Amino acid sequence: MKNKILICLFGLLTAGFSAKSQSSRMSLNLNYNYSFPVSHFNSDLVNNGSPRGFTGNMMYHINPLISVGLDFGYQDYYQKYPRQVYNYGQTQQISAVLYNSVQTIPVMARVEVTPFSKTLTSVRPYVSAAAGANFISNTQYLGEFSNPSNSTGFMAQGGLGVKVPFVRYNSWGADIGGTYNIAPYNKFGYKNLDNLNVHAGIYFNIE
Amino acid sequence: MRTIRITALLSAVALMAYGCQKDPLKDMTNEESRIYITDHDSTIQFNSFHTFSVSDSVALIQNGQSGKQLTSADAAYIQAVKDQMQARGYVLVSKNDNPDLGLTVNRIISTTTGVISYDSYWDYYGSYWDPYYWGYPGYGYYLPYSYAVYQIREGAVSVDMVDLKDASESQKLSVIWTGLIRGSGIYNASIAPSQVKALFDQSSYIQTN
Repeated sequence: MKNKILICLFGLLTAGFSAKSQSSRMSLNLNYNYSFPVSHFNSDLVNNGSPRGFTGNMMYHINPLISVGLDFGYQDYYQKYPRQVYNYGQTQQISAVLYNSVQTIPVMARVEVTPFSKTLTSVRPYVSAAAGANFISNTQYLGEFSNPSNSTGFMAQGGLGVKVPFVRYNSWGADIGGTYNIAPYNKFGYKNLDNLNVHAGIYFNIE
Repeated sequence: MRTIRITALLSAVALMAYGCQKDPLKDMTNEESRIYITDHDSTIQFNSFHTFSVSDSVALIQNGQSGKQLTSADAAYIQAVKDQMQARGYVLVSKNDNPDLGLTVNRIISTTTGVISYDSYWDYYGSYWDPYYWGYPGYGYYLPYSYAVYQIREGAVSVDMVDLKDASESQKLSVIWTGLIRGSGIYNASIAPSQVKALFDQSSYIQTN
């Protein structure tokens, strides 16, 4: 598992270097993302944190203060529950090891505000908000027998973080932050896939 | 050129993400792959029965065809059913000694059609186990509860319990309990006792007292 995470991180970083270009109005941001299921997602489906994910965004800088763009990502959640007998209907019992496997792919419109962009040059805190679609794959396994379900839902996100430029003119740098995702999910009696995230990655200008 | 680089970059990220997905099937032992399903007639008092008999062979139901077999695994499943019933207080008798309950063991395999539904299994049950086998020629089998929730792929072992005590009065052979085992490696004599025990353990109402 650790190797997989390292490979993912390495891939993200090297991909960023290979796509370098000069400055200034468009930027691409790619992050490794660790996600914690919260609320009903945590209590009903998966309570393990997920180390398997990434987030990214492509932003257009309207001015030094505000940028808008597209946010995207991927997260894989997984939980294995020990064997248990489940009642089904009035008279039926099913004994199984239960596995929940959930993948989410959010694609959202995003706005980012960097309030101290004119006064701070070495560390730039920002706040962000995003809203859009959440493509969900939810597969429940009873033993080796799966019950897959794909759906599309809404997702809204609030976040904050800091960007640390590596070189002059801010052509690229590091991004560290966190987000909270509100993700309604009304299938099979579930209510939401809300999650709390921390991310670390790089950004670079592409135009 | 820039567009190509960005597209390549995002494609690489998507591929990495897919590679990072955790596959439940790779995090599963044979034991964990198995599921045990039981159902029963809730109007039945299982402690009103005292004796039982188990079929001397296993019905092999394969791609819509059926026949009787007795491999070492089949024999182990039959013995395991006897052991579990006796452990719950029932007395094993010959099928010619008017047992209160008759139990059958069935092995269901699908190799060509991919799917055998419970419906098709149940529809032909009378041909797998001719009522004559239990001494009631001409009677029909009756299942008071739903038997069509799951589909059977690849293979399964089922155990059915038939009410013989009340057959004469009701003029039918009522199946009052069923158990189904599905998953990897179940056609194996060495694990038959644990598989049948799992079915009975989750059916605590099967007791003589």
